[in-house]
Amino acid sequence: MPKLHVRVLRQRPDTQARYDHFDVEVPDDANVIDVIEACWRQDQNLMYRHACHHASCGTCAVRVDGKEVLPCIVPLTACKSTDLVIEPLRNFPVVGDLVVDVSAFFQRQAAAGMVITRDAEETIDGHPFQPSELLQSDGKLERRHYNRFENCVECGICLSACPTLSATDGFFGPAGLAAVHRAWEKSTNATERAALLDLADRDGGVWQCHGAYECSEACPQEFDPAEAIMDLRRALIQRKVAALFGGGR
Amino acid sequence: MSLHSTNRARPRKPWQWIDIRGRRTGMWAFALNRLTGIGLVVYLYLHFVMLSQLFMGRAAWDGFVELAHSPLVLAFDVVLFAGLIIHGLNGFRVALNGFGIGVRQQKTFFYGLMAVGALLLAISTYLIFTL
Repeated sequence: MPKLHVRVLRQRPDTQARYDHFDVEVPDDANVIDVIEACWRQDQNLMYRHACHHASCGTCAVRVDGKEVLPCIVPLTACKSTDLVIEPLRNFPVVGDLVVDVSAFFQRQAAAGMVITRDAEETIDGHPFQPSELLQSDGKLERRHYNRFENCVECGICLSACPTLSATDGFFGPAGLAAVHRAWEKSTNATERAALLDLADRDGGVWQCHGAYECSEACPQEFDPAEAIMDLRRALIQRKVAALFGGGR
Repeated sequence: MSLHSTNRARPRKPWQWIDIRGRRTGMWAFALNRLTGIGLVVYLYLHFVMLSQLFMGRAAWDGFVELAHSPLVLAFDVVLFAGLIIHGLNGFRVALNGFGIGVRQQKTFFYGLMAVGALLLAISTYLIFTL
């Protein structure tokens, strides 16, 4: 059983942030969430969130040694040392300790009419995928580009990793723009596609992204929001150039 | 539809723009562009101050030109060129990414352009100290 020294950033909205130190022992095959739970057993005032324990709910997202992770799927063996620093996600208001208020994330999706829906079972033309169609021999999704966003577990990690959001509230953020991209890609209605591009073109849209690609690097589901943002930019540039020469809008 | 929501304020920490701890290539490139961008803006104002010597007569200008040939100022010229090259090439990469070019290869693209930049800087340094 490895012995760990853990520093956890403790805070409430009205108190000064501080690091509390915990010495814990966990099994060799433990994940980081087990370490957090071991800390909680020592101090049950420690606030953290968790639910599924297998990376499908996204609620437990925190930063471990500065990097955003889902602690439920990160084994201790992936950590570089037995000293861990566990902190809440960045760029969100802190509710308490490791719990942040992610409601902005969901409200922005809703405000843009882009509430994430899980309808990956159907293709653009309404065809239901069969598992055999989805998987190649290496286990990757065949229609990967289209299906990618269905992998999003809405954990908020990409917003925490985004340097633009460190300085502004105005940016829609990687997950939201990726949702716009997905809807744009999926839609076959020209008016709807134009409206989605208009949305991406607004203040706080794709032009505010500075291309640090941290969202894609940090995503635990290997979804690629940065690529989606750059693809929206490409489509917008194409549309603007076409408009210069009298074509389209 | 709107891109803005009305959530309560959250802390803004612009210094995180250059916080590269635990971050990867794209973030280093982003931080480099921020730092070189700020440096170039500072240099622009410094440049105006230098040019203002022209209003102070021939003697003042000649004195400045002599100073500009000192090894220390030439070393600053090398730093200036480094900033210009890094910012320019990195900006070129980001602009091409915006056209959908090299998005998936952005890391290789960055390292490749920085290698070109290192070569350009070596040539510039040689010319600055020999011409």
